[in-house]
Amino acid sequence: MSQSKGSDCGAGPSGNASSTDATVKSFRLTLDSEDHIVPIAAGETLLQAALAAGIDAPHSCTEGRCGTCMSWLRNGDVSMASTRALSKRNLKRGYVLACQSRPSSAAPIWLDFDL
Amino acid sequence: MQIGTIESIWRYPVKGMRGEEVPHIYTAFTGLMGDRIYGVVAADGDPGHPWHTGRDQEEFVLYKARYESSEELLLPQNLGASYSEWKPGIDPIYPDADAFKVNVETPEGATYDDIENPAFIADLEKLTGRSLRIHVTQRGQFDARPVSLISLSTVAKLGEELGMKIDKRRFRANFFVEWDNQDDPFYELSLVGKTLKIGDRLEVAIVERDPRCTMITLDPDTAEATPKLLQLLGRSHGGDAGVFAAVLQRGRVNQGDPIFLK
Repeated sequence: MSQSKGSDCGAGPSGNASSTDATVKSFRLTLDSEDHIVPIAAGETLLQAALAAGIDAPHSCTEGRCGTCMSWLRNGDVSMASTRALSKRNLKRGYVLACQSRPSSAAPIWLDFDL
Repeated sequence: MQIGTIESIWRYPVKGMRGEEVPHIYTAFTGLMGDRIYGVVAADGDPGHPWHTGRDQEEFVLYKARYESSEELLLPQNLGASYSEWKPGIDPIYPDADAFKVNVETPEGATYDDIENPAFIADLEKLTGRSLRIHVTQRGQFDARPVSLISLSTVAKLGEELGMKIDKRRFRANFFVEWDNQDDPFYELSLVGKTLKIGDRLEVAIVERDPRCTMITLDPDTAEATPKLLQLLGRSHGGDAGVFAAVLQRGRVNQGDPIFLK
């Protein structure tokens, strides 16, 4: 399952970016009204990268079931191994599960936990 | 030693829909009588969790499901015999399937006299775009364990930490309890591994903490989501709220019953 979101476009599954992209070296993360630039290694999920950077990103099961790491992909493209904790409405909003999300294009990623 | 009191008892005729408060209930090894008898299964659901719930359609928590024979489904008719004559390990016989007939009212006010009426699933499929079917069993359909319990102090403390009043119904427990312990609002978490006696008969083993999902983010009256609640649990409480129990000795439980630590 892929998710694509541009800052000026409607949210929703893009269906055009199903593989991961290793060219993304960092991404923007917003949490508690603070912005962070988070380094990300090839193959890492956005959540893994955030936790490795010492950010207290919300999470629990890390398996895509609970939805605790649900966040808003304000920009960029990701592929998700599972979307089972996301309702259809939340998918349309452009919400993703950070524990399941890996960059899937070179577009800059902005992940916002302040829902 | 008494450690608390049953504040209220809840069962959920249809998994994921609004629950009903009951004055008393028979709790078997398989859980509360009439709890989660029906479930809506999605063909595209995860094999391990195929249920269509508020996780998929937020307004599903607003659907009202009611047993036509609610009173009949609180206690087995031969409850006394089950206590005095039946050997441990045997549950009383439940009423016939007809007694479990459930009617449903949608948030829009549409009513269905029977959830198994094909029109209900047809309309829900049309609304959600999913292929769905009803699954029914008299022994309940749970994600983890047959009995769940949470304290009002946990709910209040989480609300305090979040800065908003939290409706206890978000947590969809079977037993809401009040602890005598006023020092630890999350007291039930310390009971994992312990055995409790509730009322005159029921004995449960508290087996694990209850890991939460997006269901608790949904307001039970509006279905409006508050993701911050689940974020708070994940960041400050290990993702857990309340506990699950396994039934060791079946029995009737009444609102107001004392809870003892064995």
